[in-house]
Amino acid sequence: MINHDTNLTHMIRKIDRPKLLLIILPIAIILFSLISTGVGAVFIPPQEVVAVLLGSGNDMNTFLIESYRIPRIVLAILIGAGLAVSGTILQGIIRNPLASPDVIGITKGAGLAAVIVIILFPNSPVYVLPVSAFAGAMAVALILYLMVYKQGIQPTTLALGGVALGAICHAGIQYFMIKYPLEINAALIWLTGSLWSRGWDQIYGVLPWILILLPLTMVLAIKLDILNLGDDVAQGLGESVTKVRLLMLMIAVALAASCVAAVGSIGFIGLIAPHIARKLIGVKHKHLLPISAMIGSLLVVIADAIGRGIVPPKEIPVGIVIAVIGAPYFLYLLRNSKNSF
Amino acid sequence: MFNRLSNRYFYFGFLFILGISVLSVGILMSTSVGMADVHFSHVIESFFIADLAKEHLIVQTVRLPRAVIACIIGANLAVAGAIMQAITRNPLASPQIFGINAGASFMVVLSTVLFAGFSSSTLVYFAFIGAAIGGIMVYYLGSSGSGLTPVKLALAGIAIHLFLSALTEGLIIFNEHTTEGVLFWLAGAIDSKSWQDVKLILPWAVTGLICSFLLAKSISILSLGDNVAKGLGQSIGWIRLLSGGLVIILAGASVAVAGPIGFVGLIIPHIARYLVGVDYRVVLPFSALFGAILLVYADVIARFIAFPYESPVGIVTALLGAPYFFYLISRRRKMS
Repeated sequence: MINHDTNLTHMIRKIDRPKLLLIILPIAIILFSLISTGVGAVFIPPQEVVAVLLGSGNDMNTFLIESYRIPRIVLAILIGAGLAVSGTILQGIIRNPLASPDVIGITKGAGLAAVIVIILFPNSPVYVLPVSAFAGAMAVALILYLMVYKQGIQPTTLALGGVALGAICHAGIQYFMIKYPLEINAALIWLTGSLWSRGWDQIYGVLPWILILLPLTMVLAIKLDILNLGDDVAQGLGESVTKVRLLMLMIAVALAASCVAAVGSIGFIGLIAPHIARKLIGVKHKHLLPISAMIGSLLVVIADAIGRGIVPPKEIPVGIVIAVIGAPYFLYLLRNSKNSF
Repeated sequence: MFNRLSNRYFYFGFLFILGISVLSVGILMSTSVGMADVHFSHVIESFFIADLAKEHLIVQTVRLPRAVIACIIGANLAVAGAIMQAITRNPLASPQIFGINAGASFMVVLSTVLFAGFSSSTLVYFAFIGAAIGGIMVYYLGSSGSGLTPVKLALAGIAIHLFLSALTEGLIIFNEHTTEGVLFWLAGAIDSKSWQDVKLILPWAVTGLICSFLLAKSISILSLGDNVAKGLGQSIGWIRLLSGGLVIILAGASVAVAGPIGFVGLIIPHIARYLVGVDYRVVLPFSALFGAILLVYADVIARFIAFPYESPVGIVTALLGAPYFFYLISRRRKMS
């Protein structure tokens, strides 16, 4: 009888938790966005923020909030979601909880392409940078795919090949930065991942990808669950493992590439957001994907606010804040992971 | 039996002489080519004559210390990598992937930011601390659960690397003035090294290398597995600790002088084992020799990548090493 009871409460918890989180997390995102709106080189008190949002604030604050703070926060929400989902997919297909866009070298590929554009073509129009960063990330993913193709996209080779490619791209980045020392600072801000001076242009760059790929991923969530059962089981269930992996890999790369193209290489979001989500609601991708997207958004919004608020008027790039906050948590996870790799 | 044994020694001797010759040619090239080409005859002369001719000065004060530094650091990193691969029995172990380079770099940058007036001899100690922190973190985090498998090691290493370089980048962004020269150093560079740097690293390198060679037998036994080593009466804990200390001295001192140079410690031990077998009494000295060769030649190549500008040698080793890294993975599919 007691056993039955605990089972029941257990079941209720299992069922309710995702729904509960789907309510709590958006509220948290909105709340922290409001706080974040006031923080920065010019501090705006909360009541002023609310006044501006209701259309009755003074002109200066309205201008500041509408043309700088709000687009920035919207962008933070978008890329947080994009990177988190990208990481969730990669962890699903590589079947390794430590996989992320950074680990398999995509971020570095985008970084290399962006540095080339920043340094060699400083006068090119604004849309060239994200496009080339996107191309760089795609190129790395393509090379990686060609390298591991023969072995049927094995998780191990995918992860290690990504590490190797990342090292090559990193060498390239260093080469350009050292050969053109005057342009370093612009490149460095970009490389560490920053939302500084980002706005609607970047939002328009990311939004289509998010709007198309996030729903698509949700539809395909079940395939990730099947992959997680192992190659043999998945094949037994009639899934073409290699094809599914390839499709999901492409989605993950496109998401990460578009995000990195917009804001630079923000690491660790794709790594830790899926972990936190998994801790909260378990391993089913149907729940995991939306929850980790929201956690990703929340993390980037908070980290960006910290980066702006901690030593104004200087700004700590959001990528650094996230690395410093996320790494200890990640290391704790790594230590406690019982997975055999 | 005797015949085979003497054949073996003959082979080692041959390989050694070949290696030394290749290294000598490399050093000669390294001292003669560059922004100002110095003729070989002048190079040889300058070893013996101490006049103030321009060529002799270039060789004596710029080129020669640079070549010597390349030899020392190449040997250091290769031996450090070989020891790590032996005691962890992991083919991917190396100072770079173990977070040792990143840890040492972080501490060196931190100390230049905190105490601008530091002499480079103090920096070495900071590098040691950083190397130890990075290495211990990766080892501690990677060895849980199913142990230090290649994938786990690589991922733990890359995560620590990302973390530490985020901190390093943060320091650089906030202290542009004190860290101007750091970027070049961070890519792993051995140009503009002087006899001062040689003097700084030499005691550490000599001590570290000699102690490694003395420990080689125990390291060999440890590379066979814990059970075998225990069976043969080795105290595993002590050897691990001593070897770890040696790795930190060898790699930490290298990073302090030349910045984080990657992949030397990964590739060279593999080549050495391929050529001379698995006995670390032979593997370690040959690793040192081959490491010196690799870095001397990589440094020569680095001068031409963006001629007439210098490129950091770390870029060259990464471009050579990363494909080799991938080759290792694809060849040993059952590695994990």
